[in-house]
Amino acid sequence: MTAAAKPENASQGRPYAVVGARHGKPDALDAMAGLAKYTDDIQLPRLLHAKILRSPHAHARIRSIDTSAAEGMEGVHAVVVGAEMPTRYGVIPWTPDEQALAADKVRYVGDAVAAVAAVSEDVAIAACKRIVVDYEVLTPLTTPEAALANPQNKIHEANKHGNITKQVQLAFGDVDAALSAADLVIEGHYEFHGSTHGALEPHCALAHVDGRGLLTVWSATQVPHYLHRELSKVLEIPTHKIRVIQPPVGGGFGGKSEPFDLEFVAAKLAMKTGRPVKCLYTREEVFLAHRGRHPFDMHYRTGFSADGKILGVDAKSILDGGAYSSFGLVTTYYSGQLLGSPYVFQSYRFNSTRVYTNKPACGPKRGHGSVQPRFAIEVQLDKAARALHIDPIALRRRNFIGENTTTINEFHIGSSGFLECLDLVETASGWKTRYGKLPRGRGLGVAGSTYISGTNYCIYPTDLPQSGVQICLDRSGRVRVFAGTSDIGQGSSTMIAVVAAEELGVHLDDVRVIAADSDLCPVDLGAYSSRVTLMAGNACLNAARELAGKVRQAVAAKWGCQKRDVILADRRAQRLDDPQVWMDITEAFVLAEIEFGTMGSTGSYQTPREDVHGDYRGGTIGASPAYSFTAHIAEVSVDEETGDVKVENIWCAHDCGRALSPVLVEGQIEGSVYMGFGETLMEHHHVMPSGLRTDGARRDTGPGKEGLLAHSSLLDYRMPTALDTPQLFAGIVEKPDPRGPFGAKEAGEGPLHSVIPAICNAIFDACGVRVDALPVTPAKILAGLRAQRTGGG
Amino acid sequence: MTVADPTTPAPVLVHLHLNGEPTSVAVPPHWTLLELLRYGLNLTGTKQGCDKGDCGTCTVRIDGEPQLACLTLAVEVRDRHVETVEGLGVGGEPHPLQEAFARVGAAQCGFCTPGMLMSASAYLDDLSLQDAPVVRREDIAAALGGNLCRCTGYTKILQAIEEVAQSVLARQQDLATSDAEEP
Amino acid sequence: MLRLPPFTLHQPTTLAEAVALLAQYAPDVRVISGGTDLVPNLKLAQTKVGHLVSAKFLEKLHGITRTDTHLRIGAATGLHALAQDGDVQDVLPALAYAASRIASPQIRNMGTLGGNISLDTRCRYINQSELWREALGGCLKSHGTECHVVPGGQGCVAALSADTVPSLIAYGAIAEMVSDQGVRRAPVAELFQQDGTWHVRIAREEILVAVEIPIPSPQTRVAYRKWAVRQSIDFPLVSVAVRLDVDGAVLAGGSIVVGALGPRPRVLTLERLAGRPLDEALAQALGQMAWDRARPLPNIPYDAEYRRERMVIEIRRAVRVLVGLPEKPLVTKT
Repeated sequence: MTAAAKPENASQGRPYAVVGARHGKPDALDAMAGLAKYTDDIQLPRLLHAKILRSPHAHARIRSIDTSAAEGMEGVHAVVVGAEMPTRYGVIPWTPDEQALAADKVRYVGDAVAAVAAVSEDVAIAACKRIVVDYEVLTPLTTPEAALANPQNKIHEANKHGNITKQVQLAFGDVDAALSAADLVIEGHYEFHGSTHGALEPHCALAHVDGRGLLTVWSATQVPHYLHRELSKVLEIPTHKIRVIQPPVGGGFGGKSEPFDLEFVAAKLAMKTGRPVKCLYTREEVFLAHRGRHPFDMHYRTGFSADGKILGVDAKSILDGGAYSSFGLVTTYYSGQLLGSPYVFQSYRFNSTRVYTNKPACGPKRGHGSVQPRFAIEVQLDKAARALHIDPIALRRRNFIGENTTTINEFHIGSSGFLECLDLVETASGWKTRYGKLPRGRGLGVAGSTYISGTNYCIYPTDLPQSGVQICLDRSGRVRVFAGTSDIGQGSSTMIAVVAAEELGVHLDDVRVIAADSDLCPVDLGAYSSRVTLMAGNACLNAARELAGKVRQAVAAKWGCQKRDVILADRRAQRLDDPQVWMDITEAFVLAEIEFGTMGSTGSYQTPREDVHGDYRGGTIGASPAYSFTAHIAEVSVDEETGDVKVENIWCAHDCGRALSPVLVEGQIEGSVYMGFGETLMEHHHVMPSGLRTDGARRDTGPGKEGLLAHSSLLDYRMPTALDTPQLFAGIVEKPDPRGPFGAKEAGEGPLHSVIPAICNAIFDACGVRVDALPVTPAKILAGLRAQRTGGG
Repeated sequence: MTVADPTTPAPVLVHLHLNGEPTSVAVPPHWTLLELLRYGLNLTGTKQGCDKGDCGTCTVRIDGEPQLACLTLAVEVRDRHVETVEGLGVGGEPHPLQEAFARVGAAQCGFCTPGMLMSASAYLDDLSLQDAPVVRREDIAAALGGNLCRCTGYTKILQAIEEVAQSVLARQQDLATSDAEEP
Repeated sequence: MLRLPPFTLHQPTTLAEAVALLAQYAPDVRVISGGTDLVPNLKLAQTKVGHLVSAKFLEKLHGITRTDTHLRIGAATGLHALAQDGDVQDVLPALAYAASRIASPQIRNMGTLGGNISLDTRCRYINQSELWREALGGCLKSHGTECHVVPGGQGCVAALSADTVPSLIAYGAIAEMVSDQGVRRAPVAELFQQDGTWHVRIAREEILVAVEIPIPSPQTRVAYRKWAVRQSIDFPLVSVAVRLDVDGAVLAGGSIVVGALGPRPRVLTLERLAGRPLDEALAQALGQMAWDRARPLPNIPYDAEYRRERMVIEIRRAVRVLVGLPEKPLVTKT
């Protein structure tokens, strides 16, 4: 930890009481006692079960759907098809290209075409098999190359430019001049493969229409607010007639951050039958729903001066988008916009093209759109450090952008602990005494990165707050917080409780957080883009400070002192200057309730809008109130007979501004590092056939046989087990940012980014093999070693 | 239990010991133990993650051994002792593992946690000073080899179990010492 | 969630009852023991069957007994119990090790030796959902006429994936089956046929009750090696057992048994190498022999070319360990 200013609760002039303590989650025991009710744990009387019929074709027109046989089955209560919910939607309002159920065309194997509600899953499954769909099979396009080469075979007829869903070209400074003047230009081609979130809870939705006509939808979602909006749009019901409840969610990682077919289906079938309807994905359906990491094909040229300064970066990327837009518009921007720190680019341009293909749609997986370019640039830096004989950590320090500055693409950077992150991993790993001195087969690699703490602009254009929190307290000494935030395991409800408890002088256990229920809680945009701690934390802080002020005022009146002389901490109200004078917090709350009546307050958060982003088209996308910083060092050993790479250790240091809950921050770091490690070496969301294929299968690729997922179970999609996972070191660096609550920034996504290039750089250090096309496999290592021996490498 | 499905085969009466209590329940022969627990008995602490034995989320203990409820036919647990996460802990007090998991932050989304706890509790019950006098992380990792966690990187899970295991061995050591001191 | 289709479950408590049930319902019947392979296959509708006969309550199928000459292992013996058994570890260490490497702790607690021997073949085109297989258009093992592994292939080449089978064969195990026709014994080596749709030569009327394994002499050394991407859960991508019968400082005979190829394990005998010294050259020779005569197919989900290379490496490493050399070759510093 760095020597920051003495931690202090500024509003009360005392040390932190709750912030920064090594607490766990107050509600952790609920999950462990089996009491926490996840969506599929909720049972309602007369519950019906829904199953969705999915397309066996990657690309086909629907000529007709005959549901009569299914409807006639005993136990079937309703069938729904796409024509009943024709409105197109999309999480990004500019790209509404999805339908709840495909009405005219299917675009990947697994696209939803119809659904059945029945008395049991068994009957619903049997009924789906009786639905007859007449398809006109079209030529599937399963690679970006094929999709770009066949613009007339449009996956979306309404799309303007063939199969290109989005293209972004932005240039800052004179890149050509910089590259031609450079002492060293590193040019490389990089491939980043698809991977998926792998949350252990499959998506599930439950819907019910009550006697008043209120539609309630419980869903395992990260974005209840966006779900609320899209349900209203597609079902054509006003938002006040819909209640969205997000029960505890068994992991998200971006995989539940937009509406999915099952939510519309459950709601529509509940409306049609008048009974509660539940739809639970199979694991295969989770893989089909996907929205995971986009496969990227990247070409990078980076120019350096002889002393290692980055003079110019020229980046070109093709993004394999899959069948729908999802967040793809944003992904395409992020693929270039988030590269502008932590290093100074003296000139920079990027050209990114996202392409539709007949595959499960890609979207935001932890580190949305910026993990792939980070891999490319950090490997480029490693290559430059080698070529220029500069220590790779020193090269990164030399290019550090600094604090309170502006990136070349005009984003405002506030606090940055990047150098401290480098220092921490350098020390922890013993870099100085070990790098370059390890025996052959063993190596160290370093990489760094940055990430956003939410985005300055909401997904839909609005001046409304991004987060709202309402707090009540009463004579019981208990605090109730109503927050729209979505706890998906990352601990947002704990974060809310920490902020409230810190300001109101109670213990964590005294705060009841009621979250993510649109009938009870103010709006919060959801758990995505690492926005919650900064945004909802600020909203909560605003509400709590207002309420704390009233409590202190009431106590001050009793003691005949000034409000500023009263502090609230540790279940007490206390004289700041005389700790002997105190009263129980319950008594203080009683005084306040007498003085002010029923105690409540609201707080909201809106992002800064001035001088924080670029003044050009797209210049707002990727702009954040505050940025986190990360450094990784990986240590690997390579078995040169088998090509096995064993990751021995990963050290990660992450600047999260202020660690409100260090235990939870460490958990986010460890989980991020784990996930990045897994996708580097083991995981592959792979659709056959593909330009990125590694499995060597030679097969017929005629119509109707393309677009099948190679790994659609947790057996074949290999997420690392406890036995596979290396030792992880999670180091917290605190560089408080004035824009965060108590200085806090994000911790949930940043620590994933640079682990991937750190591992690849360590592999090179161990055995001299560059794996620039992910994932790393033993076969690629052996191929590299062979090329080395024959002089080709 | 009510099964509204007209196509469901006739249920079979099964007697088992569930979390220490003799239990009789009628269940269709093609239901798994997971379906019986979750949908028949409302013991929803046992989760479903992968449908077919790949993730360990549905781990319960059958006659003390961690097994997968999603691959176990409910009627096959007849006369057996089945323990679920709801049965951990005694008299309203959390099991030491639950306490340690909560304290060190070993549960994030909590979805794998019930299954993890069942595997970990079996590991603890098998600990013996004679067989392995020190707690080894690789043994704990091996015991968790069938339980996927997507949130934690296993780091804090291993830490929590390690702490409890050390206290279990310390207690065994104390007992051994006091036994040795007896005349 | 994925649901099991309806079936009738029979829970006999005697072998006689079980055999009678099998005879009554064959061919629409399967024995279910641990269920760790059959239940997923039923859920995926890869296996369809009307009757299941449980082996859970059949006393005679449980337990391990040791005589002077043999170990007899009941077919319903749990894989964890097998891996932990003192006698098995003592005289059949490669089998104990193979059992310890199967899947995950939970599956080893549930799965049985008989179940592992009977484990259905695996292939990327068959271990999939009904939707997936429908999208593919089926295959020889699933309502289709085309093999996607071997273009134009007429026989299903799905891979035997049982971890215990290579070492059982290397140890010369004999399987014992019972049906209403009586007892039948067959070497495990002869239990498999080149047909991935039904690769185990155990009739639907039969139940595997035990395997008997001769206790090897001190001159016999067996090692099993498995390679998979993960350290747990995964099926083998490379699965080899190596048996060296030694005579003093030279080889007298033995075998290489390779699993995870097609439906049948490949058994290569080492008689023609008799007299060779126990050295690195022997490791290389056995590796080369496997390279020439055993070829992994693109049936299970990993690069077949690499699996072939890896098979050779694992065989070399097995030999090195068995002859007392370091497992990995020395790396020369560069």
